[in-house]
Amino acid sequence: MITTARIGLIAVFVALGLFFTFVSATGVIRLPDVFSRAHTASQADTLGAGFALAAVALTIGWGPTAVKTVLLLFFIFVTNPTAAHAIARAAYEEGVEPWTRGDERR
Amino acid sequence: MTAPASGIVVPVKRSPTLRQTVGYVIQQALDADGDAPVIHFVSVASWRADDPGSDADRRRATELLEQVETWSRFELEEADADPDAITIETAVIGDDDYLFSPADYAELLTAYGESHGLGHVVVDPEYSLVGHTTLVEPLEFELQQRKLSIEEAPVDRPTRRGRLTVSSTPARFLTLFGTSFLFYQILGGFSGLFDIVTGLATALVVAIALDNVSFYRDPTLVESPKRLARGVIYVPYLLYEIVVSNLVVARVILDPRLDIDPRLTKVRVFVGSGFPLTTLANSITLTPGTLTVKADDQELYVHSLVPFARDGLFDGALERWVRFVFYGREAARFPTPRERGDTEILQDPDASSTADANAVADGGVDVDGDSGVDDSTDIADDSATRSQEGER
Amino acid sequence: MSVADTTVIAGYTVGDGLLIAAALFVTLAVAMLYRAILGPTNQDRVLAVNVLGTNTVVILALLGAALGEPWFLDIALVYALLNFLMSIAISKFTVERGGVI
Repeated sequence: MITTARIGLIAVFVALGLFFTFVSATGVIRLPDVFSRAHTASQADTLGAGFALAAVALTIGWGPTAVKTVLLLFFIFVTNPTAAHAIARAAYEEGVEPWTRGDERR
Repeated sequence: MTAPASGIVVPVKRSPTLRQTVGYVIQQALDADGDAPVIHFVSVASWRADDPGSDADRRRATELLEQVETWSRFELEEADADPDAITIETAVIGDDDYLFSPADYAELLTAYGESHGLGHVVVDPEYSLVGHTTLVEPLEFELQQRKLSIEEAPVDRPTRRGRLTVSSTPARFLTLFGTSFLFYQILGGFSGLFDIVTGLATALVVAIALDNVSFYRDPTLVESPKRLARGVIYVPYLLYEIVVSNLVVARVILDPRLDIDPRLTKVRVFVGSGFPLTTLANSITLTPGTLTVKADDQELYVHSLVPFARDGLFDGALERWVRFVFYGREAARFPTPRERGDTEILQDPDASSTADANAVADGGVDVDGDSGVDDSTDIADDSATRSQEGER
Repeated sequence: MSVADTTVIAGYTVGDGLLIAAALFVTLAVAMLYRAILGPTNQDRVLAVNVLGTNTVVILALLGAALGEPWFLDIALVYALLNFLMSIAISKFTVERGGVI
């Protein structure tokens, strides 16, 4: 019974992870400029990775390995936005102008 | 204008080397032969005249110019010169343009120089343009393209980012040592003597090498665990916030019409620099729809994707939470950025949409509007005073 | 018997499900190559490679769980570190005079 619930939860987490990673990929391909792409790259992707890693932790079960997964999760949550910030800032400093509504798609 | 073409124009902005630059310029003018040298100190506006909060910006610029003028008078007295030997003028320029690139700045300075007969530009090497850290080189390049003679004031520059390294203390050393040791044991799976010995050695190396860059303040037994506990309360809220707004943004992105309205916004936040600011900036970035592009002391340049995210940002919930995590409950009570009038939408076609915001609560908050000068002040004290002001 | 070996439907185990999920993640990661190649700006490329890297980390973790190889997670951890360093380093050095972090 508990195993069934656990498998169900794993399935839900993997599905959610896939969904948000899909959103991130769509965003990176569809959005018009590097700033808006950085949004999805940092956020949807982080959440997607978070759900997928939660599923992995559930599959592995309690133990040192699961702690490693949590560590990985924490690490991704800290570094992903920082990396996105660094990239966006590099773009800003290089003088890439943010796209606004009405501009042409790039 | 009949002013001599040898007049000097100096763009000013608060920087650690501005004082020296002023001294240098005055000396230059005194040494120069010829009659009645002219010096214009100009503050290039980073705002537009009709922006919300522009009054406060203008006031600060004017104060800075007054200070520069005082410094100049002082320099003249020091040099035993006739106070009227040099004509000093100050001006705020460019507040009806949206300046973005170094070229815009150069254009403006050139126009100003031409209309006042000033042919020489002296730049403070630490002069910064809006939205850039130090881009003096591109600015100088642009100016050279425009037949102005240009010169960088020879100043002793402070070591850049000197405050990143601080001297080490036992508390810092022990905290870092313990954390690294624990981390090592987790990675190794707590597997016996070998791991403990190698872990001790590794943690020692890490602690010796990095304890002077890892902390802004000493961790204490009372305050640090409290902060950690409040941080633990913050995490579920942040996760909830992330999921909710991720769903909103997912809807927008998967919508075939792609109904986005991206804007760069500027928000002044009060959380103290260093780790709290990093936490806030990262939280803002993690919450979908908002992305911190640049953190300039207490001014965050945030790119927002949809109006929903913008409203959330201006309501300042995250800012309040970060203050709560780092300084406790009293510090959390404080007007939102919108109420303070500390929000600004850059590249906004109709700036009037937030014009009602700057009517409120402008006074009292501006106490350290020039936090760019010295942000190593004791943050906890600062925020305590600020929260009192918030209650007034 | 670990959860990964539990049969769910028609002889397929949870591990198989995770493998399929990993395959889908690979597809999404490959889609990132579109941005990585076309750009238009350098930052777009770095961003795309960063997302690709995050996906790789997830794929490694999923494979580790599916195949019962826990040391995959160590590689994932190192990969995440390198991915972060890559983004920071390139961002820093594409800007004149540095100053991005």
